Amino acid sequence: MAPLIPHGIINPELTLFFALIVGIGFGYVLEQAGFSSAKKLAGVFYGYDFVVLRVFFTAGITAMTGLLFFNYLGWVDMTMVFINPTFLYSAITGGVIMGFGFIMGGYCPGTSIVAAVTGKIDAMLFIIGMFAGIFLFGHFYDLFEPLYNSHFLGNIFVYDSLGMSRSWFALILVITALLAFAITQLIEDKINKTSPEKIRTRPSYVLPAMLLIVSMIVFLFLPAERKSRPGERAPDVLLAEIHDEKTYVSTHRVIHEIKNGHNNLVLIDVRDKAEYDRFTLPGAVSIRPDAIPDRQWRPLFKKDQRDKVFFGNGNSKAVMAYLAASRAGYERIYLMDGGLNAMFGELFADEHIPDTTAYDLQNRSTARFLNSARQFFLEGGVAAKQEEEKPRIQAPEESEVIPVIGGC
Amino acid sequence: MQSSQKNYMNPYLAGFLLGMVLLASFMISGRGLGASGAARNVAVSAVISAMPEYAEQSTFYGRFLNGENPMASWLVLLGIGMILGAFLSGALSNRLRLKTDHGPRISTRVRLLFATAGGLLFGLGAQFGRGCTSGSALSGMAVLSTGGMLTMMAIFGTGYLIAYFFRKLWT
Repeated sequence: MAPLIPHGIINPELTLFFALIVGIGFGYVLEQAGFSSAKKLAGVFYGYDFVVLRVFFTAGITAMTGLLFFNYLGWVDMTMVFINPTFLYSAITGGVIMGFGFIMGGYCPGTSIVAAVTGKIDAMLFIIGMFAGIFLFGHFYDLFEPLYNSHFLGNIFVYDSLGMSRSWFALILVITALLAFAITQLIEDKINKTSPEKIRTRPSYVLPAMLLIVSMIVFLFLPAERKSRPGERAPDVLLAEIHDEKTYVSTHRVIHEIKNGHNNLVLIDVRDKAEYDRFTLPGAVSIRPDAIPDRQWRPLFKKDQRDKVFFGNGNSKAVMAYLAASRAGYERIYLMDGGLNAMFGELFADEHIPDTTAYDLQNRSTARFLNSARQFFLEGGVAAKQEEEKPRIQAPEESEVIPVIGGC
Repeated sequence: MQSSQKNYMNPYLAGFLLGMVLLASFMISGRGLGASGAARNVAVSAVISAMPEYAEQSTFYGRFLNGENPMASWLVLLGIGMILGAFLSGALSNRLRLKTDHGPRISTRVRLLFATAGGLLFGLGAQFGRGCTSGSALSGMAVLSTGGMLTMMAIFGTGYLIAYFFRKLWT
């Protein structure tokens, strides 16, 4: 599940190493594309060279299409991907200033780094100017701050701003890009007076363009977005599990475990924290059903080999928790049938204890068990156990989710 | 020796590869590419170490005095990677040489003057835009962020609007 570093699949300590690798790819491709020449870059504004538009737009729609499909397949968690925040006026002001910078300087920061490395003196001066610009902003920050932070609209998406669906917007963007490629090629040929042979021998892009459009149309007609991730169980399997008695653990088994101080079960209290604080079973850990899929509990479910038993007051919340855990692909999970109400009903209400005088082995052993359990629970055995066993499972520290900050 | 330079890559192939690098960046770290961020962090740590008192009093630099080293960041390492990657590419394609690109109608001096001014404006604008052409416009477009698309349109829209007045620089 990507992104790999925020999800802890790649060790966060390797962040900087991967930054270096990605950076090498970035610099290499920019140089290969010819972005180390200011003349070539500025050509996009004068029509003699549209390489900027071609590379930029192709890269944008490639990455966008990739993210759309990976998100659909559940391979990437878009909530962990940095969505550039929208500060309305600051974004536009910055863009206008950068537009002037582009025409005058002929580079943008990324291309200036690439150009300076390959020996362009103008790019080296551009970088010096860039530092001056940053110092200027830093020095007068208090002056700029009202504009810089005004009209924050959130981390919003352009298709929402335009009131259309994401897949329609993506299709329109792809078609716009393809049209722009075709039209700018015509303009470029006209301005540069390209010879007809050269135009004829140019590779044809019809096939990749068609493939792209078809894939975007497919995306448009895909059924409702799949939310499940690889390894997650399908809804019908879940339903079958809930009706399967193997999913349930009897209250007797739980009582037996507690009474004998066994440590074979992880008891998970799914009730509210306040209820948990007032009373819970010895050694139980508190996890609300909606918190089950959280990353912080993953080690408990994935690494702890003991059986996990969910319990609430009745069955309903425990079922919710069970479904969430099962859907997340966790195994060795069970429900305590009937919850605490059933357990206490058996322990403390007389009618549940079968008649010990009756000549029925089954009933007699059940009754003996319940009587001793009752004694144990009423005479402070639980309280004593709770004292000594409370720290059995500590809620893990809020695991650090690496905040994704600052774009460029 | 101009003839020994290799040709540039097909722009669509380069764009596709750049898109793949961008996608990899999202899949690995959850964020896109960026270049001005590296410059900003370098500028900030230079100020912090050279003028600590000035930095402490400033709202802008003060934000970076949280104990974290701005140099040991994703953005800066990305920038260092860019330097290595560009050098590698330039060396392999035999394009490493000192020179200044400029239009036929201006002198090298004028070009260098405008390059510096353009850099200054870009450095300033990238702060307002919360990223430059790569961090705000390109990465913002990939995730379909409104702010990123607005910045992109503002950069190129302004460029086209004012291109006429600066035509002497390039054509």
